[in-house]
Amino acid sequence: MSFTLSLSGADLLLLLPEIFLTLWICMLLAVDAVPSRVSKKVIGNLSVVGLFSTLITLFWFYANGKTGTLFNQMFVLDPMAIYFKIFIIVSTIFVVWMSIEAVERFPAFKGEYYFLILMSALGAMLMASANDLVSIFVTLEFTTFGFYILVAYLREDAKSNEAGLKFFILGAFTAGILAFGISLIYGATGKLVLTDIQQAVGEPSPVLIAGFLLLFAALGFKIGAVPLHTWIPDVYHGAPTSVTAFLSVAPKGAALAILLRVFFVTLAAFTAEWIWLLVLVAIISMTYGNIVAIAQSNMKRLLAYSGIAQIGNVVIGLAAASKMGGESIMFYLWAYLFANLGAFAVVIAVAHVIGSEQIEDYNGLNRRSPFLAFAMLLFLLSLAGVPPLAGFIAKLYIFVAAMQAGLIALVIVGLVNVVISMYYYLIVVKKMYINEPSDSSPIAVSPTLKVAIGFAIAGTLALGIYPKPFIDWTVEATYLFNHLDIASTSKLIALTFGG
Amino acid sequence: MIDTWILPLILFAPVLGAVALIFVSNQQRFLVQMIAAGASLISFVLSFRLLYAYDHTVGGYQFIQRLEWSSNLGISFALGVDGIAVPLVLASSILLFTGIFVSWHIKDRLKEFYISLLILAAATIGVYVSLDLFFLYFFYELSVIPMYLLLGMWGSHTKNYNEMKDTKKRDFVGFILNFTSNSKEYAAMKLVLFLSAGAVVALLGILMIYVGSGLNTFDIPTLAEHSKFSGTLATIIWLLIFFGFASIAPLWPLHSWSPVGHAAAPAATSMLHAGVLMKLGHFSIIRVGYEILPEATRELMPIAAILCVFSIVYGGWVAYSQNDTKYVIGYSSSSHMGYIFLGMAALTYVSLTGAVLYMFAHALATGLLFALAGWVYDQTHTRDIPSLGGLSRTMPFATGCFVVAVAASFGLPGTVSFIGELMILLGSWNKYPVQTIIAVLGIVVTLAYLFRMLRGVFFRDPTKEIQYEDEFKWAHTKDANGFVNRMPLLVMIACTIYFGIFPGQFIDVIGSSVEPLLEKIHGTELVESQAVSSTSMIPSSSVVLGGDP
Repeated sequence: MSFTLSLSGADLLLLLPEIFLTLWICMLLAVDAVPSRVSKKVIGNLSVVGLFSTLITLFWFYANGKTGTLFNQMFVLDPMAIYFKIFIIVSTIFVVWMSIEAVERFPAFKGEYYFLILMSALGAMLMASANDLVSIFVTLEFTTFGFYILVAYLREDAKSNEAGLKFFILGAFTAGILAFGISLIYGATGKLVLTDIQQAVGEPSPVLIAGFLLLFAALGFKIGAVPLHTWIPDVYHGAPTSVTAFLSVAPKGAALAILLRVFFVTLAAFTAEWIWLLVLVAIISMTYGNIVAIAQSNMKRLLAYSGIAQIGNVVIGLAAASKMGGESIMFYLWAYLFANLGAFAVVIAVAHVIGSEQIEDYNGLNRRSPFLAFAMLLFLLSLAGVPPLAGFIAKLYIFVAAMQAGLIALVIVGLVNVVISMYYYLIVVKKMYINEPSDSSPIAVSPTLKVAIGFAIAGTLALGIYPKPFIDWTVEATYLFNHLDIASTSKLIALTFGG
Repeated sequence: MIDTWILPLILFAPVLGAVALIFVSNQQRFLVQMIAAGASLISFVLSFRLLYAYDHTVGGYQFIQRLEWSSNLGISFALGVDGIAVPLVLASSILLFTGIFVSWHIKDRLKEFYISLLILAAATIGVYVSLDLFFLYFFYELSVIPMYLLLGMWGSHTKNYNEMKDTKKRDFVGFILNFTSNSKEYAAMKLVLFLSAGAVVALLGILMIYVGSGLNTFDIPTLAEHSKFSGTLATIIWLLIFFGFASIAPLWPLHSWSPVGHAAAPAATSMLHAGVLMKLGHFSIIRVGYEILPEATRELMPIAAILCVFSIVYGGWVAYSQNDTKYVIGYSSSSHMGYIFLGMAALTYVSLTGAVLYMFAHALATGLLFALAGWVYDQTHTRDIPSLGGLSRTMPFATGCFVVAVAASFGLPGTVSFIGELMILLGSWNKYPVQTIIAVLGIVVTLAYLFRMLRGVFFRDPTKEIQYEDEFKWAHTKDANGFVNRMPLLVMIACTIYFGIFPGQFIDVIGSSVEPLLEKIHGTELVESQAVSSTSMIPSSSVVLGGDP
């Protein structure tokens, strides 16, 4: 294999958002280095400006249908990549915006926080474009690297340190697994680019199967699917809440972009083989996440386990192995973004005032802050999948996709889990609305957080009430899965019931 | 002009009212009350208009509005009513309007209460007017969460709550949920879990219809016309749809959440719960099961004919042995739902029309009973029948209303329940004589427990000392007085009696949709022969009962 690297200006244009963000991050570092009495809030606000500019370039790409590949197909810019990049940037804007207050309370390194968040976002954006085993490895580690530091950001806090250590050890271990998997796949096929591997894969050999299983394990770790979820509760619990919020959305989205490419493009010919692996992972993730969430007494841990269950739902879409499955996953991510980031924003707002994240301390929140209680109600119900909120459409979309693929058993388990999850979300609602507060002093919400929560509410409602534009967008963005034929699988129902 | 937009207006007036309330403070009590009353008044007035504007000579779905929602999934926001939906929309908006006034005096977080109530009513109306399976389910699910908040936030613990801290007295659901069985939290959570569980079973059926039909649409008329389900698949889907929706109906043995929910709920919530929320089950079975799976309906509906007997007998029996006013009414409601299932199971023109009419009648009668039970509870802070008594002395007006409510509930001639009940019994006689006899005996039981409650609460001397006015335990209680308190009761009484004397419009409207439905289920010949026999059995309502107004 010979690498000839020829880059023209037009080619580099495809990297414009990433290049712009990189330059902007450098600029932020320079601003941070200037000793001044200016509050670090400025850096936070500048980060938001930079992210918005990046978003505009991405929208411009999307509007003009800009596509192409770079570096011998290591980097691909297609509608799906743009979709995931927009997703990542929007989630980063949310997180930076709701961090601005929280960062002021950090004991040190206030400016670097934004640097690390933006670098991780940059890595996640590159992940969305990764089309090659090497670039998957590099971008994945790039993204995770920032998080190693961010999770352990509160140096004086034992829990944060513990979380950082756990995350680092398991993350490094996962990196090894990923590298091993990549080397096996490369050894078996001699190819690195995902589309090339698709053609080079003949009969599945044990080496190749092991390679893909390891690759799936590494990505499963990132999205936190059972049985690779063990880091999630402790890391979510220990990390600063804004970091938890970021960790729960952006890297998961980016990892799903890779999973979609690997399963729906590279392994498209072997749907029948890997579908059962995903069915199993989905069932265990949903059930385990939901049942363990019932026992939680800490809000962040509850959201962590609910996140595991949500990922189980997403994996249903993967298991559907159809274009619609891809669409439903990508739609689900938006619903998850608004609800999850919104819920964490409420956790931040409550923790600012009462300094606690215990669910018990949410007692009577409706009397202390009707706005926060109402927001939390909407976010939790959206996660539970109640109309007219985004989560309802998203769950239904995924179930429809799975049903089209004939995965009735999986849909049944998913539906049972909806009922189970209703219970623990409503326990929180009960505490907020029915129980009386032990201390009824009102909780004031800062304007920045109010804006963030307001946008999350708007997103949750808009997606739930009129999702058509988003659904159409996902349909466009997943055109590269058109080859997945669902006609054959949808007959399964008819076959099963002889109808 | 207004008729084109009548369904969106009826549906969205409460929603917009709820949205407007979000921006009002609880301090501005009067404004809160006015917004809620105004929003519900629009639905109320337009629903009456809907009843008379529906053209029963044409039949079918009318006032159709359609908005493409997602072409990819085949969902459109389609609104439309047939003759079966019209009475239920009317019942919903009557109970919403009266419910707003019944809960006028709530002190704690009135705004949030009205928001929940408006959303609940809008959700039930939404189910009745949806012509799209997706939105039918959408609104069905939407009704659950307001119920949770209404029960949890403004409900009350049921009898002996304070003495029931003993964990051994929990039932198994309470044990799992870690609540004592008498708490309102328990009632609320049980309601949500039962309804959600039922909903997902129905959703599975809906998804199987969607995928199995291969039409890539959720549109009910299209599915009813073009989908062909037969054999095992049809049976499985029908069972999922039936038992999924029957849990909200609530059919024995899926009923246990309902009386508990009634007992814990505030009055207006109970009214909507018994009046229209439970009918979502029957309605959805008709709309989805009957329309899309007519053959399976014909073959499998005998299941309902068997289970409905248990509903009637069990509900009546338990109601008789209860001492809590709301439990009595709650179990009586579950019992009366059995009549509707009987009428639905017989699948004759008369019985099915009667069943739909009885849904409307029961909504008014039970709404009235719950409103009065709520009034008595507000005044005395107890629902325990043995400790009540003699209230007719202090509240003659409420007593009078209660007598009417009791009459309406067991179906005294002159009330609309009578006509519904009679039609169900007559229509079912040929097909299910045993069940019909049991149902008639059930009316006797209804009489027994309702009179027992009437006597126990309003007439029986609670103590011997009642001759001495100042020692009368409930001397401080007040009658329902003033416009706000009396108007809702009078509205429900007026509707019950008016439609009891002039049911013509109702029967025409319902019949215009029941007939084609039965044609589909039975094939053409059978219906005609039934129509002949039915006219000989029950002459057209307008002849017997005084003509069309």
